[in-house]
Amino acid sequence: MNFDDAIRLTEVLLGFAFALQSIEHFTDCANEKYLFITRFILALALIFGFYTSWVLLLLLVIALAILRRFQGPYNGGADRMSLLILCCLSLSHFLPARHWQEVAFGYLALQLVLSYFISGWVKIINPDWRNGRALCDVFRFSAYPVSKALQHWSKSPRVLLVMSWSVMLFELLFPLSLLSQTSLVIALVIAASFHFANACLFGLNRFFWIWLAAYPSILWFQIRINLVN
Amino acid sequence: MILNTLKLLLPALIPSWNFFDVIAPSPRIEFSLLNSDTDTPTKWHAFRPRPAQLSFRTMLKRMLWNPFWNETLFMMSCAERIMKNPTQSHHSETEILNRIINETLKTKSNKPSSPATHLQFRLLTVQRDNEQLVTEINFESRIQALPKKLSTSGDA
Repeated sequence: MNFDDAIRLTEVLLGFAFALQSIEHFTDCANEKYLFITRFILALALIFGFYTSWVLLLLLVIALAILRRFQGPYNGGADRMSLLILCCLSLSHFLPARHWQEVAFGYLALQLVLSYFISGWVKIINPDWRNGRALCDVFRFSAYPVSKALQHWSKSPRVLLVMSWSVMLFELLFPLSLLSQTSLVIALVIAASFHFANACLFGLNRFFWIWLAAYPSILWFQIRINLVN
Repeated sequence: MILNTLKLLLPALIPSWNFFDVIAPSPRIEFSLLNSDTDTPTKWHAFRPRPAQLSFRTMLKRMLWNPFWNETLFMMSCAERIMKNPTQSHHSETEILNRIINETLKTKSNKPSSPATHLQFRLLTVQRDNEQLVTEINFESRIQALPKKLSTSGDA
C-alpha cells in the first residue's frame, strides 16, 4: 500500500468511526449535542475527502474540546487511539516535507505495534495472567461482561487459561508479523477478530472500529521500511 | 487552561497501552431517591443492572449502536476517578449524578411510590479476596435536588 492510499484509507475509516461515535451523543444535553453534531458533519466531510486538511484541523479542535468537557477520554483507550490517529493524520497533512509526513504516519504504525506488544508484556509479567486467574476475574466481577450469563465463563478456568495464553502470545508475537506481507495480513485479521470478540463480550465496540482505522498505517509502514519487497 | 488540555492530550500522544494489566476492584453504582435533602437513604437501586442474557443479534447491533453501554463505561471511569481521588472529584460526581437523573427521568420504573425530590448515589467496589468476592461501600455522593419535572410527578 503506498503512502497516499494508506492516508486516504485511514481518513475514511477514522471518519466512519467518528460518525458512529458522534451519533450516540445526539440525544445528550444541548452543549454536548452540538459538539457531536459538528463532529458528525466533519466526519462525513473527512470520508468524502472534502477540504481534508482543514477538516482534520477542526476535528482536532473539537477533540480537545471533548477532552476538556469530559476531563479526559470518554471511552478510555478507544478515545486515546482516536486522538493519536487524528494527530498523526493532521501532521501528515500539515508538515511541509514528505519525509516528516512519513515520520508522523510511521509513528502511528509504531504505536499500533506497541499497543499489542506492551499489552501482552504487562500481562505476561503478572502471575495472575499466567495462571488464568486474571481472565477469570474479568468475567467473574469486572464491570465489562455485557450479560450475567457471561459471568458463568469464570467457572471454566481451563478454557480461560488457554484464552489467556493465546491472547498474551499473540500480542507479544505481533511485531514478528511484520516479517512478511502474508503474516501481517493474517495477524491483522486475528487482531480484528480479537477486537470483535471484545466488542461482543465486553461492549467495547469503539475499540474495534478505531483500531481498524490504524491498520493502513502498518500495511504502508511494512513496505516503507523495506521489510518486504 | 492550555496546560490542563496538554495534560489530557499527552496520554494519547504517548500512550501506555497497559490494558487489563491488573484486575482492579470493580466499581458498581447504586442510587437512592429521597424525599428531602435531609432524608436518609434506605433503598438503593443498582444503576443499569446487566441483562441476564444478550443475543448474538443484539451484540452485532451494538457494534454500530451502543450509546448506553458506552455511557456506562464512561460512568465507570468517573467512578474510578472518584475512588482514586475522592476529594477532587466534583466533575466526576456531577457527571454521574446528572446521568442518573436523566435515566430516572426517562425510566418510569425507577420512580418511587412517594414523590422524590432528591437523589444520592454510592459507589461499591467488588474485588476478590482469595476465593471470596468482597463488596465494600467506597463513596457516598452529595444529595442532589431533582429537577421539578421529576420531583413533582410522584407516580409509581
